[in-house]
Amino acid sequence: MTAWLEERRRTAAEQNEALAIPSGADEHWRFTSLRGIDFAAYASSEQAAAGSPEGAILADGDHAGRVVMRDGGVVLEQIDPSVTAQGVVFGSIKRLAAERGDLVEPVLGTIVGYDEKFAAENGALWTDGALLHVPAGVKVELPFHVAYEIATEGAAQHWRLIISLGEGSEATLVEEHLPGRPGYANGVAELVVADRSHLTYVVVQDRHDQSLHFAAHRAEIGHDATLEWAACSTGSKTGKTRMETRLIGAGSTGRLSGVFVVDQKRHLDLDTTQEHDAPNAISDLAFKGVLLDQARSVWRGVIRVAEGAHGTDAYQENRNLLLSPNARADSIPGLEIDTNDVRCTHGATAGPVDPMLKFYLRSRGIPPLEAERMIVEGFLEDALERIPNERIRTALTTAVMRRIPL
Amino acid sequence: MPDLVIRNLHANIADSDTEILKGIDLELSKGEIHAIMGPNGSGKSTLSHVLMGHPGYDVTAGEVLFEGQNLLDLGADERSRAGLFLSFQYPFAVPGVTVANFIRMAVNAHRKGGPDGTDDPIRIPAYRKQLMEAMELLEIDKSMASRSLNDGFSGGEKKRFEILQMAMLKPKIAILDETDSGLDIDALRIVSEGINRLIGPDMGALIITHYQRILDYVTPDHVHILMDGRIVRSGGAELAHELEASGYANISQGVSSDGV
Repeated sequence: MTAWLEERRRTAAEQNEALAIPSGADEHWRFTSLRGIDFAAYASSEQAAAGSPEGAILADGDHAGRVVMRDGGVVLEQIDPSVTAQGVVFGSIKRLAAERGDLVEPVLGTIVGYDEKFAAENGALWTDGALLHVPAGVKVELPFHVAYEIATEGAAQHWRLIISLGEGSEATLVEEHLPGRPGYANGVAELVVADRSHLTYVVVQDRHDQSLHFAAHRAEIGHDATLEWAACSTGSKTGKTRMETRLIGAGSTGRLSGVFVVDQKRHLDLDTTQEHDAPNAISDLAFKGVLLDQARSVWRGVIRVAEGAHGTDAYQENRNLLLSPNARADSIPGLEIDTNDVRCTHGATAGPVDPMLKFYLRSRGIPPLEAERMIVEGFLEDALERIPNERIRTALTTAVMRRIPL
Repeated sequence: MPDLVIRNLHANIADSDTEILKGIDLELSKGEIHAIMGPNGSGKSTLSHVLMGHPGYDVTAGEVLFEGQNLLDLGADERSRAGLFLSFQYPFAVPGVTVANFIRMAVNAHRKGGPDGTDDPIRIPAYRKQLMEAMELLEIDKSMASRSLNDGFSGGEKKRFEILQMAMLKPKIAILDETDSGLDIDALRIVSEGINRLIGPDMGALIITHYQRILDYVTPDHVHILMDGRIVRSGGAELAHELEASGYANISQGVSSDGV
């Protein structure tokens, strides 16, 4: 192992050792209890069966490259040779950390640090994952696909992802967490969106209903660059997903649209930040949630505007549809503003399907269940329609609606 | 027997003792146009809602027969598929569902659950053609078919889209609740012409209105005056004119039906 990587793992391990598993006393964990979870019971494994994943949203031929990580290791690496010819690097991050330290070292652990328990644990224990590097000025039309799957019941999967877009480049990456078997997933994604580049990042979290899913995704967006981020969460038993956008270049744009569906007694916790560190940047976050049975969701979103980030335009909203009287959605928006001349707005709602709207649909002959389904689909539509790739949008709409038994 | 028979209909606001309809009797057949006029608060909109099966009201007495079938036993969607239509005074926005998709769902629900019982969804080209023709009739810009139904529409646009739905669903009896309100004079003319084209031997209408305005365009065969939850007078088209001249206050004096 290379010295720099060993050093970083050591730092992370020390932090992991020093940090306790968060408890309800920690503000960010007030609504998500980790009590009773025996993290040590999940076995780390680098061995896994090879082969293409089943039920992935992108078929062969629909992507410019594919990396599949099963349990602890990458089992499949594909890349279109025409993309390689343009200087694009895409593949196993473990392999590339050794072969292309020049691409991994400047990013790994610099965007998501080790000051939080799960990120520190991941920094110490990550086994593999993917890296995408697109050189300056290169534009790739087809999406890159990274799939994560736990195939062995009780396995732990510590994955790592780096996306690094050069100046003026364009790319799409779909990160998919397949249902697989119950296990413990903890990952870190670090995104560098350089000046004037454009990244479309689609995260599909459909882990097994009994799986634990922890993830920290964080992006830094440069001057006049754009990040279009779509997050779709339908899986996992409990955990926490951090989605953080830091606007470091003037005139940058970060949009995050999310959809989640939670059923049974499952719990979903989303923690988002929109950090404006540069002037005239735009951030826009919209999450639509549908909750069934006794499910629970927590969304905590903070807009932070640093001193000097004048001309900021920031928006965040979370709207939830409760399809059961026993479901619950908590939305906690927050603003921390240290400058004048900014526009920051937020909104949050939670409620059942409007009975009058349902009556209106029924008065047109549409049966009650179909009416409810139509209202739910319509509710999610404006979040889903922001997904730029039509094929991905259609696949996600189908995947989301499959979770709603109407 | 008339297609729609309302006998001694009483209705309360749901889960309350507040009675709004205090014994309505009315008979209506396909091919006929009836107008119900009344001041604010007389129960006009309640009658239209109760007939359609609005969850906000409880029927406490009386019956409603639609082609001999007890309408009150049916859910709102079943009433619609049986051939009843309500043009809402305040139509709802349906975010994320386009006009074209919404109406196609409704048309297919009618094909599936109607008397023909076909499980065959309408073919898209045939549907598009029908929809475009109906939109043309109502002078609606075709690009609006791909917008979310009623979402951000003006009051007048919403009313046109109610009539568009009526045109596509071809009901036997249509209840038009204050369809003229919120329409400017041109829109009123377009909507009224649309209604006149649609009403015929296969369709009857119950036009609910506060003012006589729409009745200048759509001539009723019968006019009923509703006050305080009861029909206090019935007559021909001339009754609307009399009302316009004398106002509701004077009508209430002569609480007698001149027999229809």
